[in-house]
Amino acid sequence: MARVYNWQLGREMSYWYPENRPQKQFAAVFDTNKCIACQTCTLACKTTWTSGKGQEYMLWNNVETKPYGSYPLAYDLKLLDMLNGQQWNGHKYEGQTIFESAPAGERVLGWRPEQQDYAYPNVGEDDCAGQVDHGSFLSLPHMNWFFYLARICNHCTYPACLASCPRGSIYKRQEDGIVLVDQSRCRGYQECVRGCPYKKVFYNPMTGTSEKCIACFPKIEQGIQPQCFVNCIGKIRLAGFISKPEQARPDNPIDYLVHIKKVALPLFPQFGLEPNVYYIPPIHAPVSFNRQLFGPGAADAMKTYRNAMNDPDLSGLLCLFGSTENVVPHFRRQGDTVVGSNGKDELVRVPLREPVHIRPAVDPKNQLIRINCP
Amino acid sequence: MRYITLALLLFTAACTKAPQVVNEVVAVGSAKLPSSPADPAWNDAPVHLAKMIPQDLVEPRLMTSSTPEVRVRSLTNGSEIAFRIDWDDADQSDMPGPAKMVDACAVQIPEKIEKDLAEPQMGQAGKRVQVTYWRSDWQATVNGRGDTIRDLYPNAAVDHYPFQAKPLEKESADQKEMALRYAPARALGNIRSGPRSEPVEDLVAEGPGTLAPGPSLGSKGKGEFGKQGWSVVIIRKLPDGLAANQRTHVAFAVWQGSKQEAGARKMRTGWIPLVRRDQ
Ligand code: SF4
Ligand code: SF4
Repeated sequence: MARVYNWQLGREMSYWYPENRPQKQFAAVFDTNKCIACQTCTLACKTTWTSGKGQEYMLWNNVETKPYGSYPLAYDLKLLDMLNGQQWNGHKYEGQTIFESAPAGERVLGWRPEQQDYAYPNVGEDDCAGQVDHGSFLSLPHMNWFFYLARICNHCTYPACLASCPRGSIYKRQEDGIVLVDQSRCRGYQECVRGCPYKKVFYNPMTGTSEKCIACFPKIEQGIQPQCFVNCIGKIRLAGFISKPEQARPDNPIDYLVHIKKVALPLFPQFGLEPNVYYIPPIHAPVSFNRQLFGPGAADAMKTYRNAMNDPDLSGLLCLFGSTENVVPHFRRQGDTVVGSNGKDELVRVPLREPVHIRPAVDPKNQLIRINCP
Repeated sequence: MRYITLALLLFTAACTKAPQVVNEVVAVGSAKLPSSPADPAWNDAPVHLAKMIPQDLVEPRLMTSSTPEVRVRSLTNGSEIAFRIDWDDADQSDMPGPAKMVDACAVQIPEKIEKDLAEPQMGQAGKRVQVTYWRSDWQATVNGRGDTIRDLYPNAAVDHYPFQAKPLEKESADQKEMALRYAPARALGNIRSGPRSEPVEDLVAEGPGTLAPGPSLGSKGKGEFGKQGWSVVIIRKLPDGLAANQRTHVAFAVWQGSKQEAGARKMRTGWIPLVRRDQ
């Protein structure tokens, strides 16, 4: 194993291959506070990429209802259990990653879901054990709250899928950091399925190979955001490219949210993969839960997000989510407007506050009472 | 005359009862190579009992030993060589799926007959090995299993495949072309599953992790699952330069699907001498 630097852990760690960061790294920010679990993203992906034979059960994009939802079943709890409780010291991770805790003979600490584990795409959907008049009839560790967690492949800097493949059939593209399974080389050993802690590689029994999210690379190559981003009803998603922390550019939307404002955090950073989908944590979920999911930055990120209304740059940038099909490499705020550009041309312009029109209930000209109809 | 009768009796007994056990793989000359493991022609070949060891050289390793040995017989017609490989297996695993591995076996032979042998595990750089690989789900396909998800999951319900929607005509070239868009491995000719005419494939390797499709050795195969386990016939081109009474080497590998064995997680033998004995 080689020694590599993982900024999300604040330390070096062991990895199967030496550090080899791509020229650009695809990244995304998801605002969990805005997701309504409509699953439009899931369907957008499904109809685009996984409508083939053997892909019936696959959800490259899924949306699960936390705290209990998970797809495949208990993918997160199982590994957290295997890691058996680990420690952060401030922003430095002192526990072991899945690479460092690999048992003898293995490349990573992993497990392989059974087929039944894929049978419940969102167990516990909307199961909030809330207060009812006579109290809850069921007592659960997490009461009175839930949120939706949309997930795709994290196109990790240190992918466990890639490290697990004994044939080197998985590669990370130099030009954009997108992680792909070479469909001409894969022999279907399912080592990647076992290795990926997020369970974002799926075995296709009809092709006999493993398949995964491709970050809609044909779109990314044209500067357009992936399907699950542009179809998102809640406008919770923003795709772009992330820099290393010391090279963060304040006008790069992803850098600004992740490195500068630190309002968007990686999912399970403690696994050690340096995942590149970043989440604005749900502000109404307990800090302790957010901390387990998103690491030690959770409390501060929640505070920053709560205060966004007093931070015009941050709230302006949040308005860019879902405002254009284009990937927006640069943004700036001009008064009450936020502008996204590719460095040369303006791509999008969004007001910080939408104008409000109040329509009186009575139309005096036509002598009509107006009614709202959908 | 008495001695001849005795010898004849002993010979018959040897043929019908316990097979002759030999300490190398002996490819016995035979005009016809049996394509089925049940063919009595196999009784003409002595058996080699090959001890297996877990693959424990490269990660991921097989940490728990499974198949202890394979029983190997071999026949040759001078241009092809046939192996019958038998191993004990309690479960017939021939249904692929998530976390469902399939039974398989492989025969490995050095590409060239050389004094200085390649590494027994997948060869090494500059010393290529030829691998002929048989797989139980491919056997099921050859035996008639269909190419639909319902052949794997009989209760599966599918709402819609875009390539089966109108106006595409059933079985039309346009429909097939569109179906390939949703099966990238098939589109690239990496036929790991689906329609095929032989349950085997020819591969080459120059070390662990380098296995790749190789030049065709015209391989054929057939596996049958019985009370004791698998009995698999693999027929391939005779190794180049293997004249009568000459030796090369052979190695075997077995994967038990029920034990989650696939790829590097396998039981294997070391090199075993393989001698050609024409009769
Ligand atoms: S999320 Fe999983 S599949 Fe995606 S790059 Fe990371 S390890 Fe690989
Ligand atoms: S489309 Fe957007 S809002 Fe709807 S479930 Fe997906 S991420 Fe959430």
